[in-house]
Amino acid sequence: MTNEVTPLAQRQATFLRAILDESAPLPEGWSNRQTAGLAVYRGNYRSAVMGALAETYERTARYAGEQAFRQACINHVIKHPPAGWTLDDAGEGFDQTCAHHFAENPEVAELAWLEWAMLAVATAPNGTPMDPAAFGAATAEFGDEDWGELRLAMQPRASSRVVSYNLTLLWKTLGEQARERCDPRLTEPQTCLVWREGERPTFILVEADHADAFTAMQKGATYGELIELLLGDNPDPSPETIQNAAMRSGAMLGRWLQEGMITGLNP
Amino acid sequence: MIHQNDTILPFAGFGVGLRRTHYDDFLSADVPVDFVEVISENYMIEGGRQFRILEEVRAKLPVIIHGVSMSIGSADGLDSDYLTKLKQLEQRIDPLWVSDHLCWTRTSAHNSHDLLPMPLTEEALQAICQNIDQAQSVLGRAMLFENPSSYLTFPEDELTEWEFLTEMTRRTGCYLLLDVNNIYVSSKNHGFSSEEYLAGLPLDRVRQIHLAGHDPATPERDIIIDTHDREVCEDVWALYGKAVAMLPQPVATMIERDDHIPVLSELLGELDRARGIASEAKEPALI
Repeated sequence: MTNEVTPLAQRQATFLRAILDESAPLPEGWSNRQTAGLAVYRGNYRSAVMGALAETYERTARYAGEQAFRQACINHVIKHPPAGWTLDDAGEGFDQTCAHHFAENPEVAELAWLEWAMLAVATAPNGTPMDPAAFGAATAEFGDEDWGELRLAMQPRASSRVVSYNLTLLWKTLGEQARERCDPRLTEPQTCLVWREGERPTFILVEADHADAFTAMQKGATYGELIELLLGDNPDPSPETIQNAAMRSGAMLGRWLQEGMITGLNP
Repeated sequence: MIHQNDTILPFAGFGVGLRRTHYDDFLSADVPVDFVEVISENYMIEGGRQFRILEEVRAKLPVIIHGVSMSIGSADGLDSDYLTKLKQLEQRIDPLWVSDHLCWTRTSAHNSHDLLPMPLTEEALQAICQNIDQAQSVLGRAMLFENPSSYLTFPEDELTEWEFLTEMTRRTGCYLLLDVNNIYVSSKNHGFSSEEYLAGLPLDRVRQIHLAGHDPATPERDIIIDTHDREVCEDVWALYGKAVAMLPQPVATMIERDDHIPVLSELLGELDRARGIASEAKEPALI
């Protein structure tokens, strides 16, 4: 198999560069007629990508304002032209673009992160939440070792992040079409957990320490490792500290179970 | 590479595209259509409401999956992740058939998310046939490819579009999705005869017809743009009648609307008109 670039591949690369970048050279031998046609394709590309971002980040757009959002989209597309086959992917990393573009309003990036996370869970594989009673029955005979080695299966594509703004308030306010003035700052950071309840993407704000704990369990940490995580860098924890960490992990587990975020044990 | 079991039998019927705004219509009642067509990429997903609705509609009606991102004309070859996900959808839905467009959308680096025109050359024909062979082999079935609307032609073109399509179907065994509006749009943009185009195609390979609206040329812009955002125009209805009369077998006809999507009853009204025109076109001439 050869890696030789064919004339067709070269022509397609030149054509696509000219669509993405108005200042790129046009293919050789082109007349005004071809240039006019290319302008239609360039317009289609721009409206498709901008349309996809506007659809994915409806609330972010409403909050940021039309012009500012449009400029952020242009920056994002120039820096990250779409590469994947699904247009939805054009919005990947837009929260980071917003973090730079709206540096004085970090809540814009947090809102964009939430909208991306909600989109991701909307089409995730279906996951049946574990019934708390079933969890109780499955763990009824657990000894310390069983608990220490317990792993959890979480709702597919659920995600978590520490946030500094009241995304619950913003989400609700912005869902009502008009941008109302409100102070969305939280008094202290919290964790935003995003998952799907049945067919409905949803999220909650909980204590900040949930984020690392949830991510660790999603990545396959054991319940014992979760307790170690909560103990932090303490090389010689007291029995009371260990007890507190165990109680804290139990509280988190209870919350995840109650919210329907756990789908199974020891996957 | 033509496989023995790749025959797609004709399906006579009239349908519409299944769009989100019409989900409730399809779930709550029997809509008078013979099939629906969905955009493949919207359902190449793992779960959630959208897929459940497609499954419910599929339980009532035949479904055609119609793609916009296969990029069958890419010189860089096909995206294996895309093909895998399309195959999964095909297996989950068991569609009437799988279709895409005679176009390319991407290079290995970037994706335009638009249906870009192919140079009509022997080199492009070889590349596209190789890709079609691969796609049909992965799917285990023959595909339909749609004639595109286009806004430019290339100085290096060696074939007409109908010659290109004819040779493509001959070499790969694929079938054709005839977009009558696209023929009209391209004929006006490039100055060829729609009737000559139709007469030059292997019409026995046509299994489906698309009908859609377009944005006419203006004093400032002499290019017609295929927008799918309005009703089918009179010239396209007339061309549809001619096409149906020329086809040697019945086909599936659908109204395609992707923007400014109206209430379903409006599309069904257009579909009734298509039924009437097709019926008249197939009646023996009275002497």
